[in-house]
Amino acid sequence: MAQTLTPSSAVAHGSFMTQADRRRQEALTGYAFMAPAFIILLVFLIIPLLAAAYFSTTDWNGVTPLTRPDAYQSLGVRNYERLLFEEGIRQERFYTSLKNTIYYVLGVVPLQTVLALLLAVVVNQRWLKAKGFFRTAFYFPSITSSVVISLIFMWLFTSNGLINQGLGAIFPNYQNVTWLNDANGVIHNLLRLFGITRAAVGDWASVEIASIRLWDWISGPSVTMLMIMLLATWTTIGTMMVIYLAALQNIPRHVYEAATVDGANAWQIFRRITVPLLRPTTFFIITIGLIGAFQVFDQIFVISNGGPNDTTLTIAYLVYASGFTDQRMGQAAATAIVLFVIIFTFTLLQRRFVGDRAVT
Amino acid sequence: MRKSRLLVFFMLLVTVVSAGAVVAQDDGVTLQLWGASSSEAENAALEAQVAAFEAANPGIDVEITFSPEYDTTLQTAFASGDYPHVFYVGQARIAEYAEAGVLDTAEGNLTEPEDLYESQANVFTVGGTFYCPPKDFSVLALEYNPDLFDEAGLEYPTADWTWDDLRAAAIAITENTDAVGFAVGADLDRWMAFYLQAGGQIYNEDGEFVFGQDDNMQAAVDALTFFQELREAGALATPADLGAGWSGEAFGNGAAAMTMEGNWIIQYMLDTFPDTNWGVVPLPAGPAAEGTLTFTVCLAVGADNANPEESWQLVDFLTGPEGAAMTAEAGFGPAPARMSAEALWLESRGEVYAAFVESAEFATAPILPVGFQSFRDALNNNIQQVLDGNLTPEEAVEDTVDVAQDLLEE
Repeated sequence: MAQTLTPSSAVAHGSFMTQADRRRQEALTGYAFMAPAFIILLVFLIIPLLAAAYFSTTDWNGVTPLTRPDAYQSLGVRNYERLLFEEGIRQERFYTSLKNTIYYVLGVVPLQTVLALLLAVVVNQRWLKAKGFFRTAFYFPSITSSVVISLIFMWLFTSNGLINQGLGAIFPNYQNVTWLNDANGVIHNLLRLFGITRAAVGDWASVEIASIRLWDWISGPSVTMLMIMLLATWTTIGTMMVIYLAALQNIPRHVYEAATVDGANAWQIFRRITVPLLRPTTFFIITIGLIGAFQVFDQIFVISNGGPNDTTLTIAYLVYASGFTDQRMGQAAATAIVLFVIIFTFTLLQRRFVGDRAVT
Repeated sequence: MRKSRLLVFFMLLVTVVSAGAVVAQDDGVTLQLWGASSSEAENAALEAQVAAFEAANPGIDVEITFSPEYDTTLQTAFASGDYPHVFYVGQARIAEYAEAGVLDTAEGNLTEPEDLYESQANVFTVGGTFYCPPKDFSVLALEYNPDLFDEAGLEYPTADWTWDDLRAAAIAITENTDAVGFAVGADLDRWMAFYLQAGGQIYNEDGEFVFGQDDNMQAAVDALTFFQELREAGALATPADLGAGWSGEAFGNGAAAMTMEGNWIIQYMLDTFPDTNWGVVPLPAGPAAEGTLTFTVCLAVGADNANPEESWQLVDFLTGPEGAAMTAEAGFGPAPARMSAEALWLESRGEVYAAFVESAEFATAPILPVGFQSFRDALNNNIQQVLDGNLTPEEAVEDTVDVAQDLLEE
């Protein structure tokens, strides 16, 4: 191949370099810059993921040293069968954790998205003084250790803690709720107010789907789970508010001015201009909200360890319990892979309905 | 270009040389000792014992590491194949670790093994092989608050108490004082004592898990009914009900007149509630027998060990007659597991705690088969459900036995 030497390149580099050479050098530089991040991702993310997928097909107990030749046996898809399809305690625990996690996600993600947007709109108002202070105050919980926040919430919500005292002062007939140890589902409590209980509804509610009674599927999050959901929402609103704030400040003022000229009031501006323009940001926030909510673990570990009565057992906590307390690491890996598939599916669905190319 | 190359080469050289120097320094034996981090007093006692061992054995250095999330940390160490020489093993984990083959056996490596309490040594004998000597043990006993008993005008508990006495006193105190009669968590590690007192067995003579099956079903129902009756009379409260982290805290701040806790409550009460008066007697006898639960930890030597001889020397010192005597004198709560040190512990702690040693005779360790965490959770949940009035004792026992059958079939 003929070497092409352009005069400008020769002058610029002070040496003789071909186009191909230069492209190759640029490519190498690019890879070199990417290499550290890529190696870290590979070693700490990709390889463990593949290892987990591999171990999910074995019966390794997580204790026997892997250096031994007979540390585990291959089981094929037995772990997945036992987890998803076979009647038994493992299926019951998995679907309980799935139910709890879904209620958690359905509660936390919309709530934190809406509240973050409202907070961002409020902090963005021109008439608000000391914006910096409010931004910091709202963002602060996100950077505090989740363990510390969980401990403080535990202290606030004990039977004679501040929350019960406060509610008792406001509502004279208030009976102390044992926030930390109440397994009654919130929807069940609501239905009970109208006199609808399992006995009243009839036998069809006792039909078991995946080892869990139909009536229990609609129990809603338990009171303790509700408390953890409030904790998580309070912690994450800050981060999302900051993201929304940045996006809000990107909306050019002339758009608002044009709307005002056309005669729109504040609510119409918010609903028809701000929210649609924030759509890419909302998509991003819902995605990271979903991913984070599905993986909730810290708060459960500190506050309730999956109790009371398995009502705060989430899939991520089940992975930990299966692997370290139950010593069935193969099963734990299978549960983790199932969680990965669930989150992946939800994210794809979300992209289809809320994302850039969604049909409105 | 040449200057920077020289610099890099020089830095590499320095690194290699210093690494080599560190490696070459190793002329003595260094043992790794891992333990679960516990109270200050217990950690200090272990460090003192280890210091005494190092003084007596100049060639051996011991590095102690305390981990808060001990089980998880130790398990990951096993999995990688790179685990410590000597480490604590709790009674809940001995079967799993023995099965995984990471423990060395204690046969022929200990001084005077007959001096160990038989019930304690049996806890750490799996499949006929004795793996590790217990370093100390705790038993559950009945703690009571004499001031609240005085207020209600009742006689103090004695070692001859039965369930009826406990029930009567708990109800009387609840009615006549602000405190609740009996505080206990909905926990297998407490309720199981009542199951044993009602005549239930956890394992039969062949070593099979028989909780709640056949004849044992009635014992389980009786024990749950006892709890239910106390609860309905308002005389039983869980720590969560009383706004406390555990029953000991509720007992210490006077919210409950009685509780059932082990030796660990001694140091806790002295540190946190020094002004509360309290006494302790063995748990009341049930319809069938006396019974209580024991909790013990052993010091094990790892199997793939580079220094087995020195490791066993260390374990033998810490759990042998000398180590047991030091544990007795340090008196941080759990009693040494050697009969010869019993008198010494009572002397240093006080005769008033005699109940903890007397109960050792009829104590059983509540150990579950490998992989039975779901059973533990199911039983705890069902006990709580009975207390909440959502399940009858019969339903609770049936459900728990179903879970056990499920797990046994796996």
